[in-house]
Amino acid sequence: MKALIMSNQGQQEEAFVLAKEALKNDMKSHICWHVYGLLYRAEKNYEEAIKAYRFALRIEPDSQPIQRDLALLQMQMRDYQGYIQSRSAMLQARPAFRQNWTALAIAHHLSGDLEEAEKVLTTYEETLKTPPTVSDMEHSEATLYKNMIIAESGNLEKALEHLESIGYRILDVLAVMEMKADYLLRLERKEEAAAAYTALLERNSENSLYYDGLLRAKDISSDDHKALQSVYDSWAEKYPRGDAPRRIPLDFLEGADFKKAADAYLQRMLKKGVPSLFANIKLLYTNIGKRDTVQELVEGYVSAPQANGSADGSAAKDNIDFLSSAYYFLAQHYNYHLSRDLSKALQNVEKALELSPKAVEYQMTKARIWKHYGNLEKAAEEMENARKMDDRDRHINSKAAKYQLRNNQNDKGLDKMSKFTRNETVGGALGDLHEMQCVWYLTEDGEAYLRQRKLGLALKRFQAVYNIFDVWQEDQFDFHSFSLRKGMIRAYVDMVRWEDRLREHPYYARMALSAIRTYILLHDDPDLAHGPLPVINGSDGADEAERKKALKKAKKEQQRLEKIEVEKREAAKKALANPKSTEGEVKKEDPDPLGNKLVQTQEPLKDAMKYLTPLLEYSPNNIEAQCLGFEVHLRRGKYALALKCLSAARSIDASNPTLHVQLLRFRQALNKLSEPLPPQVAEVVDAEFETLLPQAQKFDEWNASFIAAHKDSIPHRQAYLTCQQLLNPESKSENEKELTSTLDASIVSLETALAGLDLLSEWGSNQTAKSAYAEKATSKWPESTTFRLG
Amino acid sequence: MVDILPLSSYPSYIDLLPAIQTCNITNLPENYFLKYYLYHALTWPQLSFVAVVRPKNGYKTQGQAQGQGNVAGQYPKVVGYVLAKMEEEPTDGVQHGHITSLSVMRTHRRLGIAERLMRMSQRAMSECHRASFVSLHVRVSNTAALHLYRDTLGFQVDTVESKYYADGEDAYAMRMDLSNMWLDWAEIERKDRLRQASEEGKDADEGDEVGEVGKKKKEGEEEEKKVRVKVGRGLGVGDLVEKSEVQAAT
Repeated sequence: MKALIMSNQGQQEEAFVLAKEALKNDMKSHICWHVYGLLYRAEKNYEEAIKAYRFALRIEPDSQPIQRDLALLQMQMRDYQGYIQSRSAMLQARPAFRQNWTALAIAHHLSGDLEEAEKVLTTYEETLKTPPTVSDMEHSEATLYKNMIIAESGNLEKALEHLESIGYRILDVLAVMEMKADYLLRLERKEEAAAAYTALLERNSENSLYYDGLLRAKDISSDDHKALQSVYDSWAEKYPRGDAPRRIPLDFLEGADFKKAADAYLQRMLKKGVPSLFANIKLLYTNIGKRDTVQELVEGYVSAPQANGSADGSAAKDNIDFLSSAYYFLAQHYNYHLSRDLSKALQNVEKALELSPKAVEYQMTKARIWKHYGNLEKAAEEMENARKMDDRDRHINSKAAKYQLRNNQNDKGLDKMSKFTRNETVGGALGDLHEMQCVWYLTEDGEAYLRQRKLGLALKRFQAVYNIFDVWQEDQFDFHSFSLRKGMIRAYVDMVRWEDRLREHPYYARMALSAIRTYILLHDDPDLAHGPLPVINGSDGADEAERKKALKKAKKEQQRLEKIEVEKREAAKKALANPKSTEGEVKKEDPDPLGNKLVQTQEPLKDAMKYLTPLLEYSPNNIEAQCLGFEVHLRRGKYALALKCLSAARSIDASNPTLHVQLLRFRQALNKLSEPLPPQVAEVVDAEFETLLPQAQKFDEWNASFIAAHKDSIPHRQAYLTCQQLLNPESKSENEKELTSTLDASIVSLETALAGLDLLSEWGSNQTAKSAYAEKATSKWPESTTFRLG
Repeated sequence: MVDILPLSSYPSYIDLLPAIQTCNITNLPENYFLKYYLYHALTWPQLSFVAVVRPKNGYKTQGQAQGQGNVAGQYPKVVGYVLAKMEEEPTDGVQHGHITSLSVMRTHRRLGIAERLMRMSQRAMSECHRASFVSLHVRVSNTAALHLYRDTLGFQVDTVESKYYADGEDAYAMRMDLSNMWLDWAEIERKDRLRQASEEGKDADEGDEVGEVGKKKKEGEEEEKKVRVKVGRGLGVGDLVEKSEVQAAT
């Protein structure tokens, strides 16, 4: 008991000592084992906790609390067979509680035994003599849950029949309507399905999924534009304020029909001053004809403004609003990558701002234009100007902070964020952003540090996001019992399933990619652990000496920063010295705020695996993840795994330029092995890789045919040149020249050009080659600051 | 184009929660742990809604499991949400709903998104929980939100709560009657009786369209001017989460 209290007070180690002592004294005490399990649970060591509970239960098989604690952990660990056992026992002990029946059904359901799950629910239902009152939410939800199980078993006829029989007394009316429409459509009972989707649209006309369902139910072919249009028209007429039925037709209409509809749509939205109009329209631009039509239309609005002769004040104002909206639209249009002309974008945004100087959105677009110019400094400044136009709004404040982070101004960014954070939190604004799980900020902050090669702080932030995902996974624990009491079983089951794929979230993928890149950098150049170092070219003596000097400087700087941090902390402690401990909450202080411990790892690749494993498991179709996985596995000498990544990447996009280079690198690595692979591995690798890049292949030809197939793509040309470089290191100066000449192409984007500069570093090119490249790029993008050589 | 979707009923879009949390912390000063969003989604799954941008080529159809395509697993951009609940222990014993948080990205204003989110939530409160009214708090300085609640939706100011927000600003406590959208329970009970009576005769009267029961009259027709809305609890997040944990633990 004392151990339990200690544990609650955060003294885990002492608690464990006591608990062990207690167990020594009485191995047969179920209480001791239970407490031991609880301690493990508090430490999140669930496997050990389950073992301890099992011991306790063996001694005291009838203990409900122990049984319950065991069951919850089994659920958390997805030990469904164990969970079924526990839940069966609990049901037997207390069959009067509906919860216990439902819980057993959930156990069967999640373990995949739908039939048994349904049977359990039905058995309970049959014990009810009269139907529960209409207001019985638990009953309402339990019947819908049963319906969900029937539908999942694939027997839609039965599901629909069941739904029809219970639907009238279900309180979640919308869910019943959705389920019914869904079942009917899948059963191809089209007429009824059409009626069901019509009913849904009458309830919510702004859900395009309902239109999709309705059209499928009506069997209207996607080519039959007339019929499609008339369906949408009828809804637009019925709900004049709706957007969906007006906007969707723009997706399928063509030619003159498109122009007419687009004209009406654009004018209407410009008059309303809807700021998201462009975001909504730009999706059409993959169709070049539509893009040009839109441009022509909106340019027409501004060149021939309605010559509204009346001096009526409000009409004049409407005119001005319309015009500024149109200029704003054009600014975004010319800022968009499929219709980019940045000087026109800037002209238009200036005109818009002239007419409506207080429009924050316009100013935000101005900042975005500078971002696309490659001038992040100016972009951050302009976004800051936007922020000042409405400094009580957190949205624009967040954007201003983000632009500062993009400009690698971490401190300024945090300072901006602090205007809306709870700064009394432990750790101040940054502490609050951690506590409130502000994933976007932590990721951007880490990426800014990564760009600056401050890898300790970068890893610190990525680790923080990683931990947030752990917390999110842990969050479900309380609901294993809570949801049973609340009776919202469908939502609970959906939650459990979502938790099982939590890390497929793009937030996880983005952070993990950056973290893995950081570890690869660290592996390739362990000196970066001490802070940013200048890129050193070649290996002549002078550079070597310079590098040593730089490293020494970096180490000194690192020590200086650490000292400052310690002092800051001491000062903070003193300030808090007065015994006003915040509500007894023990907040452990972070022993490594700068991430120095993280960055000084002896095994960066092993650490990278922590991020990589979930990434590959949950985002297998992310080609960047596969390519990065290759890099990690190759460096670890795990050839079979590296190859697996290559195969996966190829099945996602066989023409990916990064993959092209990696294929060659892999072949070269196999040819250069210092000791041969174990025979079984070699056999598998050789056989598999033979299908990707055959040994007998003449690599020059292979590379030549690659570029022949992708003549007009600069990233492919970069990959081609990198392969030339790998195949024939003597050709470096030629390759450098050719790489620089890619900048002449009209299609090359700023981002691609920047990647080219990185490539020169990768090739170990000298300063002259880089300067030539950078100079040329700068003359092509004079506004850009991104080609400044550090 | 923006779609208004249920958060955690059918189909479930619960995987949008992290993006909803981001939308909240990007726009508003009142923020919560993910667990607090989960708590809403799992206690009152019918009441919360989310606004997302439809992807370029629509949603991918996902095999057999979902007939008409499904947003789950596709992570479209979230541009707004309403997080709602029922008052757990109403002091006067009257069942009523409460808007915990509502936000729409400022880049997506003037589309009526906040209004639609509110109407969906209000209707669900009324149908699922027979809420007598819905309440919310709004900053006294937030004229845009005030306009939406009072002029567009029909809320009335109940009281002014002094220093409700963490930064010391006052809040209007507002409420709106929802009893006009209640389901007709007498009718349901009548069907129950019919059904029981014809248990052996089989086939009772149950052909009525479920969705028509208690149907709302019509949507407000007037133009809505501005949509940004700030609502939130002035409580510290620590308090909120403690509350949900206490509930989960008892």
